[in-house]
Amino acid sequence: MLRMADVHAGYGATPILFGVSLEVRAGEAVALLGRNGMGKTTLMKTAMGFLRPRRGTIEFDGTDLTRLTPHAIARLGVGLVPENRRIFFGLTVRENLELGLSAAADRSAALRRRRLDEVFHHFPRLQERIDQPGKTLSGGEQQMLAIARVMMAGARLILMDEPTQGLAPAFIRSIRDMISELKRLGVTVLLVEQNARVALSVCDRGYIMEKGSIVFEASSRELRESPVTHEKLGV
Amino acid sequence: MNRVLSWRAVVVGLLVALLPALPFMSKFYLLLAFDALLFGAIAMSLDLLIGYTGLVSFGHAAFFGLGAYSTAILLERGVLSLWACLVAAVLVVGLYALVVSYFATARRGIYFALLTLIFAEVVYTFFRYTQTFGGSDGIQGVPAPRLMPAFAIDTPLRNYYVVLAYLALAYLVCRVLVASHFGKVLVAIRENEDRARFLGYNVQRYKMAVCLISALLTGIGGALYPGRSAFATPDLMLWTVSGEFIIMVMIGGLGTLAGPVIGGAFFVLLQEKVSSYVDWYFMVIGLVLIVIVLFMPRGLLGIRAMLGFKQWRATA
Repeated sequence: MLRMADVHAGYGATPILFGVSLEVRAGEAVALLGRNGMGKTTLMKTAMGFLRPRRGTIEFDGTDLTRLTPHAIARLGVGLVPENRRIFFGLTVRENLELGLSAAADRSAALRRRRLDEVFHHFPRLQERIDQPGKTLSGGEQQMLAIARVMMAGARLILMDEPTQGLAPAFIRSIRDMISELKRLGVTVLLVEQNARVALSVCDRGYIMEKGSIVFEASSRELRESPVTHEKLGV
Repeated sequence: MNRVLSWRAVVVGLLVALLPALPFMSKFYLLLAFDALLFGAIAMSLDLLIGYTGLVSFGHAAFFGLGAYSTAILLERGVLSLWACLVAAVLVVGLYALVVSYFATARRGIYFALLTLIFAEVVYTFFRYTQTFGGSDGIQGVPAPRLMPAFAIDTPLRNYYVVLAYLALAYLVCRVLVASHFGKVLVAIRENEDRARFLGYNVQRYKMAVCLISALLTGIGGALYPGRSAFATPDLMLWTVSGEFIIMVMIGGLGTLAGPVIGGAFFVLLQEKVSSYVDWYFMVIGLVLIVIVLFMPRGLLGIRAMLGFKQWRATA
C-alpha cells in the first residue's frame, strides 16, 4: 500500500533522511521505532508531502506521492494524526470532526451522519463533548479527536505520530485499543512511537530508525525479543 | 432567531434605521453617520481576512479606491445608474483582487502583508500620476447616482439608507460565510495552515476565495463613496487608509464581525470629534489605540466580557 524506496530528505541544506526504504502492506499495522531526533517525524512529513524528497520514491497504491501536495495526498486516502494532538482549539468537537470529512470524495449529509455515528460508537466521550471547544478537552480527549478526525475522512492509511506521548496510562490503553480496532476495520496504520512496548503490542511488524536510516526490520515478536531492540531503544 | 442572524442584530439594525428621525440629525450628522456605517462595513469585511483567516492585508485601500474610481468614472461620463456603477466596481475590483490574491496567498505572514501593500502602492501611483483620471486631483464634482431613472440618491438621508442597506447585506453575507463549513476552514487555516492541508484542504484556494469576497465587499463600499462625496481621489488608496482599516478592526475586536463595525464607527466619530478641536488628532487616536491594545485586547466588543455582562466569544 505504502512503499518508500531510498528516500533522502531534509530541511534546507540539512539532510535528515538517508535512503530510507520501507513498506506497509494493506491491512497491516507497522511500527516505526527510534529515539528522539532519528528522523521519524521527518519521514512522516515527507510521506505527507510537506517535504519533497531529494531522492527516492514514495508510492501509495501505485500512485507516486513525491510530486503531490499534502491536500492531494490526503484526498487519496492518507490521514495524518500529528504529534502533540494537533486539533483546532478554536473549533468545537463537531466542527473539528466535520473538517475531517473534507478528504472524502463524497461529503453528503448522509455520509456525515454515518461517519459521526461510527466515530461516536468508538469514542462515546466525544459525543458527550460534541459542542465543546477543542481547547477545553483533556490531552487524551484531544488525541481521540485527532484520530476520530482522520476516521471521518475515511482514510485507508493512517500515519500516527507519537499518539501516546504524554498521556495517562488509561488513555494509552484506549489509544492502543483504538489502533487494534482500526486494524479490524481494515485500515492500514503506520505508527511512529517512542513507547516500543505499546507499539509492538498492536503492530504486526516494525522498523527501527537510527540517524535517518532504517537499521532493523522484523516482526513485532522478533523485535520484542531481539537484542537489537534493546541496544537501539534501550527497552 | 437562528445561528446566522440574532434578534439582537435585527433590533440594532432597526434602531440604526430610525436614527435619522432623531431631532439633532442634521445633514452634517447624517453624512457622519454615513461614514461611520461605510467604514464599519469595510472594517467588517477586512475582519474576514484578519480575524477569521489570520491574513493581514495592508492593501485594502486599493479595493476601496478602485470601487470609488469605477463609480466616479461612470458618473462623470453620464452613466448614472447605481447598479451599473456597482457592476463596474465588482468587475474592476474582482479582477484586481484575483491577481493580488493569487500572488499574495502563495506566501505566508509578513510576505502576504507586504505583497498586498506593494500591489496597492502600484495602483495608487498609477492613479496619482495618470492624468486620464485626474492625477492627484482625481475626479471631482461627479453627479449623484440614481437608484432608478427618476430616483437620484442626492440627499444625505438617501445616501444614509443606501449605505445602511449595504451594511446589512454585507453583514448577512459575512455571517452566513463564517457560520458555514467554508468559515470553519478559514478558522482552521488561521490556527494552522499545515493542519488544514493534511486534512485535504487546498489552502491557497480558500485564501484566494476569502480575499476575493473581502475585496468585493470593500470595493462595493468604495463604489458608494462618490455618491456621498462627489469625488474619487488617489488619496483614498494611500497605505495610511489601509492602516486605518486595520486599526478599525483592532479597535472593534478581531474575529467578531460586529466588533469591527463598532470599531469603524468609533474611529470615524473619534476622528471627527478630535479633529474639530486639534490638528494633531492622529496622536489622540494613536493613544486610544495603544490603550485598547494594552488593556482591551479583545477590542470594544470585549468590554461586555470585562464588565461581566457576557462571555466574550469570537470565532477564535
